Amino acid sequence: MVGTRKTLFWLALRTGVLTVLTLGFYRFWMRTRLRRWYWSAIRPGGHPLEYVGDPIEKLLGFLFAVVVLAFYIGIVNLILMFASFSLFQDNFAAYATSLVGVIPLWFYAQYRARRYVLARTRWRGLRFGLEPGAWGYAWRAMTHWAVTILSLGLLLPRMTFWLEKYKADRTFFGTARMAQGGTWTMLYPAMKPMFLALAVALAGGAAILSDNIAVGSGICIFSGFIGLYGLVYYRVDTLRRLTEAKTINGVGFTLSPNAFRVLMIYVLGSLLAAAAVFFPLVLLGILMLLIQSGDMLTDMGLEDMIAPIAGMGRYAIITASVMIYFTIFLLWSALTNVFITLPVIRHYFSSLTLSPASAANSIRQRPRDEFEEAEGFADALDVGASL
Amino acid sequence: MTVLRVGRSPEPFSATGTYFDGIAAAATQVAVTVDEDAQALVGLTDSGVRITWPLTDIREVPDQAGGDQMLLQLSNDPVQRILLNDHSLTPRLPNRSKRPKVTKRGPLIGWALAAITSVALIIFVLVPTMANQLARFIPPEGERALGEVTFNQIRSALDQTGLNPVPVCDNPEGMAALSKMEARLQAALPEEQILTVSVLDHEMINAFALPGNYIVFFRGLIEKAETPEEVAAVFAHEIGHVVSRDPTRHALRSAGSLGVLGLLFGDFAGGAAVLLLAERLIEAQYSQEAEADADVFAHAVMLDAQIAPSALATMFERFLALGGDASPIVSHFLSHPTLGDRIQAARDATPAGFDAVPLLTAQEWRALQNICD
Repeated sequence: MVGTRKTLFWLALRTGVLTVLTLGFYRFWMRTRLRRWYWSAIRPGGHPLEYVGDPIEKLLGFLFAVVVLAFYIGIVNLILMFASFSLFQDNFAAYATSLVGVIPLWFYAQYRARRYVLARTRWRGLRFGLEPGAWGYAWRAMTHWAVTILSLGLLLPRMTFWLEKYKADRTFFGTARMAQGGTWTMLYPAMKPMFLALAVALAGGAAILSDNIAVGSGICIFSGFIGLYGLVYYRVDTLRRLTEAKTINGVGFTLSPNAFRVLMIYVLGSLLAAAAVFFPLVLLGILMLLIQSGDMLTDMGLEDMIAPIAGMGRYAIITASVMIYFTIFLLWSALTNVFITLPVIRHYFSSLTLSPASAANSIRQRPRDEFEEAEGFADALDVGASL
Repeated sequence: MTVLRVGRSPEPFSATGTYFDGIAAAATQVAVTVDEDAQALVGLTDSGVRITWPLTDIREVPDQAGGDQMLLQLSNDPVQRILLNDHSLTPRLPNRSKRPKVTKRGPLIGWALAAITSVALIIFVLVPTMANQLARFIPPEGERALGEVTFNQIRSALDQTGLNPVPVCDNPEGMAALSKMEARLQAALPEEQILTVSVLDHEMINAFALPGNYIVFFRGLIEKAETPEEVAAVFAHEIGHVVSRDPTRHALRSAGSLGVLGLLFGDFAGGAAVLLLAERLIEAQYSQEAEADADVFAHAVMLDAQIAPSALATMFERFLALGGDASPIVSHFLSHPTLGDRIQAARDATPAGFDAVPLLTAQEWRALQNICD
């Protein structure tokens, strides 16, 4: 893993500024360039990954998805709204149906986005790939979610395993197909901290019921922290277990990420980024207050009180506010790249090993997956097309 | 062309790198030099493959992290790569940062235009057509619920803080005056309409109708009007919209087209602001025919109710006079090129020597103007 925070920060900031200046259209270039940078920073076995996606294909994919979704949202929402008001005199049914109708699309879009990213990723000159199967993924994901919710989360490892297996078993590096081994029950140890959090929360609840309210509440808050750690631990540990049970052309992997370290990167990274945007945020708050109170004072006929700022002009204040708003947005996105995304990726990949690495040498190239729609649906629906 | 001459003159460049042939996953060592005669990067890999890459065809893969390595590709080959361990070759590559020819780019403009056309057709043709059809079939109670929801949304949207909806004015004497005005107009209608008439405590100079026979005035309009007849003229105009069910069509159309715009701008800081702007534009006005029809309806009702239709012209002129500091919605209203025609039509609808009967007493008119106190 190579690459410095400084170069990433400037790349993220520069492309972010261009994105704002072009009303969002540069984001296809921004995402492409950031991915190229991140991919090249990761060097399994000493050779960098390469991202070869093109911004224009992303733009076209987005336009395609917009046309399809415009039709869906325009016509379907209109009919639902009509039916909902006609039958129930309310719009709740329309919103609910419309939302439920979008859920399969979310999963569909996620799978398609993954297929696009893998098809545009290379290592040692060979393409990765993912077999088509987005609708199959969508209905499986919905069924697994339903089962997980009905089991009150107890069958969460089952969902995690089978959805990952669906994707892994369809993943290729060159001509070699990946295989997800293991069983879903092997993921239960990853839930230990969550079970611990539950036990502590129950103890806290019991203490509250037996009138030790202060102690009980304290225990419950403590269990909340354990639960937060438990969520991160679950993600990190299932990733480790699943990765170590994968093989491709006889090559196995090991990964030894530390959940506490990942949690700390998120917590400290967010704090650092928040500290950096604190000053502009306060400035923005003051300006907003000025605009509001300026209106109010004028209403009360007390313009004289704000005469000094009034001289500056209301529009100057509004312009300044908008600029500070975008500054905050850009700083935040650049700093979270630098203090969260990069350290997390670095932490994961620094511990990745391939063995025996030489077994990869016999793998051959696979044909290009044209995939003109790119990740348009994921982008338009705002799911998982960020990095 | 591809003869490799060794020892002809001191070589300005030589290095070892890694070659990926794009056929197999093996990484092979390659020793490369620049052949000055052929102006090409030439080399021999460990596995015995001879490489000749013309310098003008070599592209550097951009945005690479680390800065220690230089990744090269051929302009017309999608998969072969040479990875060098420094950047000393940079000055020898004239087209290093040009786009490789293998990046396929279809007819972008064509696709973009097709996409914009499709979305425009959906928003401006398909959705309105369907909305017009569906508006005929929506049952009265459904229409009423639609109006109620829209009314509350407008009340919340008009409040800048978004916390408390704009209040509805209900001064009893003012309400009585308003009812008297309504009764006079109702008596002149072809058939009676059950209306819900409200006044919103907001300085905007405007009035609108909503599905389910809602008619809403803004305080600003009542305050700026100089006679009760001017308010009644706007009232009659809005009843015209109610009778022709314009608001229902409009509300259904908005339900269909607003969400579509949110898609276009994606997840980016300015998206919300642009969306808001777009919503405003879509919210615009009914079609010009719809406005003209509502005017004609108003003229007829006012004549029957013995109110001079020219009051509508007076009100329009007042809008025009106030145009300088009017709200955006009114400014939009004013920019209609046909407003002059509509003023003329209202004047023409008033017969010479028309015998108007006063609408409200001076006291009632004062109460109506202070309805929000």
